[in-house]
Amino acid sequence: MHVVPQLIVSTILLGGIYALIAVGLTLIFGVMRVVNFAHGEFLMLGMYLAFWAFALLRLDPYLTLVLSLPLIYGFGWLSYRMVMRPVIHASHNVQIFTTVGLSILLQNVALVLWTADSQFVRTSYYAVVVRLGNAVLNLAQLVAFAVAVLCTAALFAFMRWSYTGKVMRATAQDRAVASLMGIDTGRVFALTWAVGVTCVGVAGVLLAPIYPVYPTVGLQFVLIAYVAVVLGGLGDMAGALLASLIVAAVEVIGSYVIGTAWKEVLYLLLFIGILVVRPAGLFGQRGAEAIGT
Amino acid sequence: MRYVKWALVMLGFAAVALGIDAVQGQQLTGEYKIGVLEPLTGNLAVQGKLHLEGYEIMRDLINERFGGVMGKKLVFVTGDAVDPTVAASEATRLATREGVKIISGTFSSTLCGAASEAASRQNVIYWESSCVDPRLTRRGLKNVFRTEIDGTGFGWYNVEFIAKHLAHRLGKKTSELRVAYLSEDSSYGQSVTESARQRAKQEFGMQEVGLEYYTFTTNDLTPIILKLKNANPDILHHIARDQDAILFWRQAREQNFQVKAVVHAGATGYGAPGFGKAFGNDANGPFALLEPGPGLIIEKMRPEGQRIERAFREAVKAKTGSDITGGHQLAGGGLWILKLALDAAKTDDLDRFRAAVLAMDLPVGSAVNGWGVKFDETGQNSNARVQHYMLQWQGGQLVTVWPEEFTTNRAKWIPLGAWDQRK
Repeated sequence: MHVVPQLIVSTILLGGIYALIAVGLTLIFGVMRVVNFAHGEFLMLGMYLAFWAFALLRLDPYLTLVLSLPLIYGFGWLSYRMVMRPVIHASHNVQIFTTVGLSILLQNVALVLWTADSQFVRTSYYAVVVRLGNAVLNLAQLVAFAVAVLCTAALFAFMRWSYTGKVMRATAQDRAVASLMGIDTGRVFALTWAVGVTCVGVAGVLLAPIYPVYPTVGLQFVLIAYVAVVLGGLGDMAGALLASLIVAAVEVIGSYVIGTAWKEVLYLLLFIGILVVRPAGLFGQRGAEAIGT
Repeated sequence: MRYVKWALVMLGFAAVALGIDAVQGQQLTGEYKIGVLEPLTGNLAVQGKLHLEGYEIMRDLINERFGGVMGKKLVFVTGDAVDPTVAASEATRLATREGVKIISGTFSSTLCGAASEAASRQNVIYWESSCVDPRLTRRGLKNVFRTEIDGTGFGWYNVEFIAKHLAHRLGKKTSELRVAYLSEDSSYGQSVTESARQRAKQEFGMQEVGLEYYTFTTNDLTPIILKLKNANPDILHHIARDQDAILFWRQAREQNFQVKAVVHAGATGYGAPGFGKAFGNDANGPFALLEPGPGLIIEKMRPEGQRIERAFREAVKAKTGSDITGGHQLAGGGLWILKLALDAAKTDDLDRFRAAVLAMDLPVGSAVNGWGVKFDETGQNSNARVQHYMLQWQGGQLVTVWPEEFTTNRAKWIPLGAWDQRK
């Protein structure tokens, strides 16, 4: 029983990391109906940004986070203009191949520029922990979790109450009608993509003091983020957060009780089980995947 | 008369010098091309690139100072074996389109099986310098050879170290030692772990208090660490792949997991330079079974072994600016034995090459890494001839600590103290 508090804490912290990645993914899918297979590579770029800022300029990752927000947003916007805009009205197959191609391109650019070596941002506080009774919390993970909750809440509020958010939701519901109402859907897509990339870029900077970075690091996280996004309901921020916590709980508790070798089997079984009962995910609207197409 | 004496002495020196340089100055006629297949992109690229670098440095050394292979300049054509499917297709490409008769690589146990099968179908020699999956040489393929020991050899050496060195340093009989086994779940990790478990239990009666396999891309190892804390082992036998060692070490520290020793095998995980780069002095403590590192007394090797060992280490230092790594040593050591085999066979005809390989009989200390050579009928170099060494992270670098007769360093922190006291 003495391990229960630690298992709960580990679940929350790991779930926070997954949520941080999933929230950008679900935003892009929810509004644009594009499954971004390059999402993990944007995460990787965020991690490298933090690493090089630390290695070359001795910039703390959290300072890098603040300073680099416009840079990440700009990169997201640029990648939309150069890669996604030409295929935004193309079929899903074309979009899938485009984002997979972007993913491979970014991985290999990273490999050529920075080699395949694992790099680690060893800050002075990398081993600092917060003790909560029997449980131990890594400080960097705690920050990542707090930012994940903050990001999700901010995006939720933005989408629900801001004018731009309403415009984005209108575009998500029916892009043709939105166009007829005078909405510049091209700008909405550019904004959505850039915000989604910014979310995952922020996640990358925050993960740099926790995990080593290497060119294929994105793959390590993004599959689980896909599971969380579908489980939570495509396009639903709060659903993605909750689903991330569920996946993390299955992973952590399953690893402890049954064995780590079973963790993927366990969360994928849960994933299939939930989709059988609720095909649109926990919070998704039935037929949401078809809305706006 | 005095001038005649001087002249004779000078002539003598000149003759010795010419003898030494005879091979170095040998004119190479033509080129001999082999295929080198390594994962140069993807998850395994860290080690794949180090291995390729080791191959290239040894190739240049062979061409410039050791007479090439069969009197010809050795050249490479490379392939990128990103996964088993690509490894097989690249092996086929190297054989059919590039026309090579020998393929060397692929370092990883996840790749070597597929690559060697494809090479076999093309009737091409497959020369493995690193992968330790025992199954590689147990399939009756006459074209497959491996210079490195297999996973059972790694497990054998690790238990040897635990039983012959750690047990008495910990003041325990081997039957009193509590050992937990933790490993990533590839065939590499499993083969090393299973052979270690078997020998530890059957030969030394060590107590097994835990066994856990995990995928090396696992994002949280805390549940495993909690289980290990409950099991309270003396020794943790941990076979890690790469970033999993970094994650485990960080989270073990957070959880204040105390164990008396951590023992790993191979140039991955704790044996990779990235582990030291990630933690600096905080990396101090774990052991990794590897090829020899700093502290090795090269004079303990045979003269011919000393010569190539020194030359290779200097060449790596000159090319990379840093000390030799396990990846360099495995690739360079394997390529050197291939050169000896080709020089002996004078052909790449499979039957005659195989006969020459099986006839090679070099004692320990004859080749790179202090290795010897004696291949068995399966194409496996003898575990007993491929001398391995235990290295330990000390002061942020891996140094050779065992067997003690081969090194100037001694193992420290036995038992491992508190996390902040391993300086």
